[in-house]
Amino acid sequence: MSSLQRILYVEDEPDIQAVAKLALEMVGGFQVKICSSGAEAVRDAAQFAPDMILLDVMMPEMDGPATLKALRQQPQLAEVPVAFMTAKVQASEVAHYKSLGARDVIAKPFDPMTLADRVRSIWEQ
Amino acid sequence: MHEEPLTPDHVLAQLEQLRKDYFDRLPRELETLGALARQLADERGTGEGLASLHQRLHKLAGSGGTFGLSGLSAAARALEQRVAGWIEAEGLPVDTPLLTRLLADIEALAEMAVAGEVDGMRLLARGPAEATRGEEGRVWLVDDDLFQGQELARQLESFGYEVDLFPSLEEADGAALGGERPAILISDVYFEPGGENATVSISGYAGLMALECPLLFVSSRDDFESRVHAARLGAQGYFLKPLDVPRLVNRMVQLVEQRNAAPERILIVDDDRELAAHFRLVLQAAGMQADVLDDPRSIMDRVAAIRPELVLMDLHMPQYAGPDLAGLIRQYESWDSLPIVYLSAETDLGRQVAAMSRGADDFLTKPVSDAQLVAAVRARVARSRQLEAQIARDSLTGLLKHAAIKEAIEVEVSRARRTGKPLAVALLDIDHFKAVNDTYGHATGDVVISSVAMLLRQRMRNTDIIGRYGGEEFAIALPDCPLEHAKALLEDIRRRFQDVRFSHAGRTFSCSLSAGAAASTQSATGDGAWLLNAADQALYEAKRGGRNRVCVAGDATSTQVTES
Repeated sequence: MSSLQRILYVEDEPDIQAVAKLALEMVGGFQVKICSSGAEAVRDAAQFAPDMILLDVMMPEMDGPATLKALRQQPQLAEVPVAFMTAKVQASEVAHYKSLGARDVIAKPFDPMTLADRVRSIWEQ
Repeated sequence: MHEEPLTPDHVLAQLEQLRKDYFDRLPRELETLGALARQLADERGTGEGLASLHQRLHKLAGSGGTFGLSGLSAAARALEQRVAGWIEAEGLPVDTPLLTRLLADIEALAEMAVAGEVDGMRLLARGPAEATRGEEGRVWLVDDDLFQGQELARQLESFGYEVDLFPSLEEADGAALGGERPAILISDVYFEPGGENATVSISGYAGLMALECPLLFVSSRDDFESRVHAARLGAQGYFLKPLDVPRLVNRMVQLVEQRNAAPERILIVDDDRELAAHFRLVLQAAGMQADVLDDPRSIMDRVAAIRPELVLMDLHMPQYAGPDLAGLIRQYESWDSLPIVYLSAETDLGRQVAAMSRGADDFLTKPVSDAQLVAAVRARVARSRQLEAQIARDSLTGLLKHAAIKEAIEVEVSRARRTGKPLAVALLDIDHFKAVNDTYGHATGDVVISSVAMLLRQRMRNTDIIGRYGGEEFAIALPDCPLEHAKALLEDIRRRFQDVRFSHAGRTFSCSLSAGAAASTQSATGDGAWLLNAADQALYEAKRGGRNRVCVAGDATSTQVTES
């Protein structure tokens, strides 16, 4: 865990994917892989070997928490820091998401110019 | 790994392109959404159709917010939650009237998106934090009792508000979805028939929930549950009927003022120049006015010049420690309640407590995150402004009290002497006010007084200072304002005030006011007391000349009287 370079972002909405990619690659200088569904993440994540994973909470079929659970069962991904992305950020919900094993919650919509800093500060926690 | 450093401009250009693409696709997405809702309304909401609608609304809420369409996003979010509620309750199939309303709301959403496209593009330039502000002075009043509603609307109008009266939340919601924006929303709590409780049901109206204006409730019943619901909605007031209108108006004025509040003034005292510069940038980025003290020995001069609302003080500095300087500030009576917050790497609790006992109010431990710094400073300043307002402000009008306005005028005079810019000071007095009180009662008299206060606030700049000088007398200070401008402004206020119609028990009447003004340029050495005295003489001239007129010091000729 030397430095934060590779970020896996799981998000079903293509518009948000594009903005997030821009924000993390161009502003943050990270290497980013996007997965459009929980199932795709479960299939491809280990091979990408991310330093950190960002998970949208509300996705069809496999939602964020279910994806997290499935990812944690793969030994290579059991310890990778995870943050949830969601529009509903009440204190009780943040606590709930943390209890599921996420390190923090990022509010949507996010500011593209500061998303990378936010991700880095969560990673450094 | 990554080629060249990218400039923010480059990123912004790319973002702009993404947004443009999004706006191009948006109409089609909304069409699909509408078709889906229509199909549902025809088929009476099956589980599958609802799930798909829910998913699309969810996406719209997320993507709309990402591209700066905050109103659209909030409206889509409210609809998403409504549909989610139906799915969770498993009360399928959903009733036809509910689906019809959903369809109407979705169609309104589409219209809002089209209307909001321009908004969205404009928001882009300003960033997502700044939302569209409602039209100043425009109030929406929702009350099913039309008689009471009209009565309140009329009274608010005499305070200079424009009031739109809606008989139901649904109609107000329609106006909101149509893109209209009030500065304040006032709603009755109980609606007949059916006993709809607005504190509960309002969250189901997408358009109203998307409004970003203050919300006030008025009710004939005082019940705990409704008050809690109102608090959860973030309502800024809950007033009981029969309404004390001046108090309601006072709250409304405060709310609008808070939104337009002047930036917080912060003085940073830290010997680490780089760190001090960083704090200054962070606070400035949050919209505050921040200055760094360079030489500790000049601290009182800087405090007097900047008049900070909070001092951010490093605890350990080589020459003079934080507590030394804090203690020094506290020796000056006028600064003994200035909030001082220590900022230091000190983690020893005992030493923090010792430092706090010497003149400071709070302690922030370095390293402090930017967000934490801004939040801590903002909260402290807001609290101290509130306290200051309670002490220094008149409860009826919310204006500065006699002592506070006199003090403010002294401050402005010395500022004017320093900057060489003219300061105008004026006194205004309501004509024959005793007769108003005697004829219509003190409650009506209070309305008249409040309406002058209201008018002054509306016509004057943010930097002007307004006070209630006496019972029906007002004092104002106009920095950087030549005497002839002050006279024109007072003329305008005088004319507007004589047009205001007041009513009591079915009888309408109007009042007038007289004003006198003087300017700092009329004397090389005159202080605040001199200016007030000169303005008072001019006011006396105006009264003697027949009232309902404006006079300025050193000018024997008053303005033309407009007889009604």
